[in-house]
Amino acid sequence: MTLFSLARKNVLRNIKSYGLYIGSMIFSIVIYFTFVTLKYSDDIAVLTKTDTRINGIMSASSVVLLFFVAIFIFYSNSFFMKKRKKEVALYSLLGVRKRKIGMMLFFENLMIGLLALMIGIVIGFLLSKGLLTVLVQLMGYDVVANFVLSTEAVQNTVMVFIILFIITSLQGYRVIYQFSLIDLFHAAKKGEAMPKASALYAVMGVTLLAIAYYLSLTNIFTSELWKLMGYLTVPIVVIALTILGTFLLFNSVTVYALTMLKNMRNWSWKGLNVLTTAQLLYRIRANAKSLTIIAILSATTITAGGAVYSLYYMTGENTKATNPHTFMWIGEDIDMPSDNLRYDAHVTYGQIDVTVEQAMYRYSVIRRSDYEALAKLQQIDAVQGEYVLIDAFYNDDFSVVKAGTTLQQNDRAFTIDAIASQQVMNGALGMAMLVVPDAQFTAMQATATAHMYSYEDEKNEKELSATLEQQLPESANFTSYPRDYAAGLAGAGSLLFVGSFLGLVFLTATGSIIYFKVLTEAEEDRAKYEALRKMGVRKQMMLKTISAQVGFMFGLPLLAGLAHGAAALSAFGQLFMMDVTKPVLVWMAIYVAVYALYYVFTVWNFYKLTAERGKAL
Amino acid sequence: MEALLHVQQLNKIYGQGTQQFHALKDVSFTMAQGEFVGVMGSSGAGKSTLLNLLATIDSPTSGDIFIDGTNIASMNHDALADFRRDHLGFIFQDYNLLDSLTVRENILLPLAIAKKPAAVIQKKVDEIATLFGIETLLHKYPYEISGGQKQRTAASRALVTEPKLIFADEPTGALDSKSATDLLQSFVRLNEEKSSTIMMVTHDAYAASFCRRIVFIQDGQLATEIFKGTKTRKQFFEVILQTLAEVSGDLHDVI
Ligand SMILES: Nc1ncnc2c1ncn2[C@@H]1O[C@H](COP(=O)(O)OP(=O)(O)O)[C@@H](O)[C@H]1O
Ligand SMILES: [Mg+2]
Repeated sequence: MTLFSLARKNVLRNIKSYGLYIGSMIFSIVIYFTFVTLKYSDDIAVLTKTDTRINGIMSASSVVLLFFVAIFIFYSNSFFMKKRKKEVALYSLLGVRKRKIGMMLFFENLMIGLLALMIGIVIGFLLSKGLLTVLVQLMGYDVVANFVLSTEAVQNTVMVFIILFIITSLQGYRVIYQFSLIDLFHAAKKGEAMPKASALYAVMGVTLLAIAYYLSLTNIFTSELWKLMGYLTVPIVVIALTILGTFLLFNSVTVYALTMLKNMRNWSWKGLNVLTTAQLLYRIRANAKSLTIIAILSATTITAGGAVYSLYYMTGENTKATNPHTFMWIGEDIDMPSDNLRYDAHVTYGQIDVTVEQAMYRYSVIRRSDYEALAKLQQIDAVQGEYVLIDAFYNDDFSVVKAGTTLQQNDRAFTIDAIASQQVMNGALGMAMLVVPDAQFTAMQATATAHMYSYEDEKNEKELSATLEQQLPESANFTSYPRDYAAGLAGAGSLLFVGSFLGLVFLTATGSIIYFKVLTEAEEDRAKYEALRKMGVRKQMMLKTISAQVGFMFGLPLLAGLAHGAAALSAFGQLFMMDVTKPVLVWMAIYVAVYALYYVFTVWNFYKLTAERGKAL
Repeated sequence: MEALLHVQQLNKIYGQGTQQFHALKDVSFTMAQGEFVGVMGSSGAGKSTLLNLLATIDSPTSGDIFIDGTNIASMNHDALADFRRDHLGFIFQDYNLLDSLTVRENILLPLAIAKKPAAVIQKKVDEIATLFGIETLLHKYPYEISGGQKQRTAASRALVTEPKLIFADEPTGALDSKSATDLLQSFVRLNEEKSSTIMMVTHDAYAASFCRRIVFIQDGQLATEIFKGTKTRKQFFEVILQTLAEVSGDLHDVI
């Protein structure tokens, strides 16, 4: 019998037990292939032409993805090899040479890989087609996803995975030489000692995380630490501290907590609590690394997604701030449609040049009565004071003109009483505006009249906006909320496109890692659950311990990911001076919801796995 | 003596169509409270199948099983689980110990499942561990103890709830003769002192000689049964060997 046919027979005979391994390989191939297909697709190329940033982000992301896929493959391969050690020992015992067994495993792994590659590419092709259609539509782009199998994507995927498979196959080959026969036979049975909590590591873990959080939450502009360490080093230090801290947290702090729980006999000696804690303890050390990776992946996804979604969300807010009225222009008034009109206002304004400490400033000027009327229309509170300066970019630290500053206009001088930051007129005209008492206004000379119209559902007044733009002369300084909103959305939208795709990939990836991990362990523990069933454990009780165990595996990295993400996003909000609470919460809620689906799916399959064998016996 | 276990016309057919395999054919018998019954037969005779049916882990194709007057066919999934928890104890050839739990935790599991108070659990576990001579091993994990000790742990776990009926499937199969004898003597003690009812599947004549009555299964059917009566264990052992030879026609096939 040739080596090749022996390997082929092996795969065919064990196809069922290979299922999980092949499944996880197909999964990573599908994810990777989908991504490169999108990267090379013509439809995306249309988008990337309009925004070169997407191209950069896509390339960077595919490197991250590659890294992730490699970890995933290595991980599942080593898990698989552990299961096969006994079989290897049997061959060895029967007198098959090590070299031959090694070659057999090598070919076998390669064959599984090729099979997975073919299936993965087919599924990936279908998936990318669906995904692209959905995403493109989500962004409001009018591109039709017309799809051909991208040869570049196939080449790229095949090459990457063949290399990965060769490396993992060599890994299998190594296994044979590393272990003696007796080791191989005991591979599955060798008991692992229960972990003991290390106080030092636990304290270290908490401390590292505390430092990382402190660094990322301090005010970047005023912090001495940031200045001292440099603005580029701090983020790297923070990331390193977070990763290490998270690992120590999972490795030690959880061991502490679980051991304590287990020692509370009144609680733990009830139902299957003792088993739940023992199982978690038993697995925690081996899982600490994976849980850390998942936590960091989750944190990255949450942060990146949250940031991108915040930018997208803020587009509307920012546009509203600079365009409080749907339309505004200067000069002649026009007959405007009255459908959906909320209000219209016509205000004469002036312009003055003033000096403050030798520097010249130009402000538009309006009457106090007009200011109050506009504020009322916009449902904002008018700021009180004789002379009020509206400054959209006002900052306590940096702005020169503050409340109390005296402005000099030729021979006249007047003092600012208060600062307002909310514009009452659109665009540049409204950004720097002086409100003066009605009696003073005449002295400053009115220059022109601004016409302002506001409509219900203003985002959708695009047609009216276009008509007005054509009709009005250049000198009218036409400003339009719908026009600016659409422009902002196109910019942030392409970011959101890539962001949500990557978010989706990482989310499925993390979910799937936990899923495969939990189910492989469940498979190993089948006999345990069978024994429990024989002891008379009811369905509910079984479901309870399974939910708790799986919940721990899902909950721990999710909580860490959410906390890390929240810290990073608050730093992000600070940096860009935005209040990102609302969009971030929305994004996190979506993330948690999808994650929860994975959880339920995993619990259910775990339960089914443990219940199955019972029937056959 | 009243009948604790009563089995009527039990049939078990595995598989479907041409793949069908008739593993048990019209098996009927009765077991009284306090009996220690051995089930013997060659490999594949249907011993484990019978035990699994009696233990309510599997359901028969036809026939009835009454335990303490209750027809177990009339019980639903949860009721069966409760029934196993409250009245039955199992010991298996491969121990089925949970490797993440200490010996103590393994033994207390059935009591915890039945939601007994921690103080009661503590007391009962100590008692049964002393009975099986593993009281010094309670804090150890299964991988730290020997096969015989594992089997005694498994036995302690099965018996800690003081079940009405104890089922053991080849409990000595993986043990050396010293450990096997220890375990079998514990069974005899339980049977004599606590009048526990025990059914033990074995294909080993030595192990069977500790029982008080032995039923032989051949090709899924009850072949014959013998009683220890007033015979010594040695004499009973000889009778068993003889019977085995008669039943199967080939002594070497069985031992
Ligand atoms: N789940 C099953 N499906 C099909 N056949 C089975 C199953 N379990 C046992 N058998 C068959 O039933 C017969 C009796 O099995 P078993 O009761 O385990 O025998 P033993 O007396 O050795 O314990 C055997 O021939 C076995 O192959
Ligand atoms: Mg059997």
